[in-house]
Amino acid sequence: MAKAFLIDTSRCTACRGCQVACKEWHGLPANRTRQRGSHQNPPDLNAYNYKVVRFHEDLKGGNIRWFFFPDQCRHCVDPPCKAEAEGYVEGAVVRDEATGAVVFTLLTAKLSPQACEAVRSACPYDIPRRDEKTGRLTKCDMCIDRVAAGMAPACVKACPTGAMNFGERSEMLKLGERRLAQAKKVYPEAALVDADTVHTVFLVPDPRVDFGPPPGIDLHAFLGEPRSASISEPSLR
Amino acid sequence: MKMSRRDFLKATSAGIACFGLAQLGFDLEPLRAYGARLKISGAKEVVSVCPFCSVSCHVVAHVKDGRLVNVEGDPDYPINEGALCAKGAAILSLTNNPHRVTKPLYRAPFGDTWEEKDWEWVLDRIARRVKDLRDRDFLPTNGRGQRVNRLESLFSLGTSHMDNEECALVHQAMRMLGVVHMDHQARI
Repeated sequence: MAKAFLIDTSRCTACRGCQVACKEWHGLPANRTRQRGSHQNPPDLNAYNYKVVRFHEDLKGGNIRWFFFPDQCRHCVDPPCKAEAEGYVEGAVVRDEATGAVVFTLLTAKLSPQACEAVRSACPYDIPRRDEKTGRLTKCDMCIDRVAAGMAPACVKACPTGAMNFGERSEMLKLGERRLAQAKKVYPEAALVDADTVHTVFLVPDPRVDFGPPPGIDLHAFLGEPRSASISEPSLR
Repeated sequence: MKMSRRDFLKATSAGIACFGLAQLGFDLEPLRAYGARLKISGAKEVVSVCPFCSVSCHVVAHVKDGRLVNVEGDPDYPINEGALCAKGAAILSLTNNPHRVTKPLYRAPFGDTWEEKDWEWVLDRIARRVKDLRDRDFLPTNGRGQRVNRLESLFSLGTSHMDNEECALVHQAMRMLGVVHMDHQARI
């Protein structure tokens, strides 16, 4: 009965259909964005982006490699965020036994900013973000409303390339093995990440690639211009 | 009985409305606080076409109480099979956007501000300017005395939001005026 995502990043073209579909389904407002020298925009997950496609490029053997990573909550089998949040507010983080979805409830608004920070620190994948306006802790909810009605999560529905997949956990793990065998022909180091402990299994071409901190190229330094005092990090609208 | 995937989803959501989620085996008790009600339940489904590029993906628009509440890919359409790119996935925001221009705007020559005008004023103004320009610049013959009947000082720029028939109409109207410079943008 447990569900799972299989995210085959070797098929991702970074169109960001998933990122936008997620925002649209959840009715999340826009972020103010600006040119940071990367296509990764917004630069990181935030209270209005439960999903963000991360970009990484490097040189290997004289060849440019460009990898995309549609980051989101892993819906851990044994979620550390839930264990941490229990210590502060009972029921702030719940796990749906039927699907395996880890969901932040309205009760997260009762967590103090410090407690939210502790919950975020507990997450091995750095996913939870606090909504400064509502005080709630936010992240991907596996589109639990859609899944309960027999529909695929919004991100999976939108994906045009087959990178995003969702279904019975056992089926997804089997699909993961098949896709891994295919991917290994092109990327010998390809691997499934933490398949045993999460409900969002990523297939990555190279597990050593670190998508690192959010991109923050200082364009003013890059262009040799003085930094204008009027240009600062834009805040959420 | 032949049933499309969408009919199946409709049938299951109707079933959900009748019997409640619990009977389908979903334990939503812990999730009550999060609101398990589907925002598109009971919405009318309207199939439409994404306005952006020439792939023309089909979308299903969910309309509730006369308002657009959700748009997603049409799983029955063989081209996109339910998928959409970032632009198509944003059709809901395209429609319900406070920044959307809903009235004609006019910027006077050398002006630096936009004024709201009504359609009648704007259409009259465009017609006047086109007529004056054509009267002034129409070239019946070229430098070698050959008949060309063309207007070189007007340019028509299309949009990817125009369908084939609209493009044909615009094209004919421009040819009628003698316009030779035309471009269109549906090649994304």
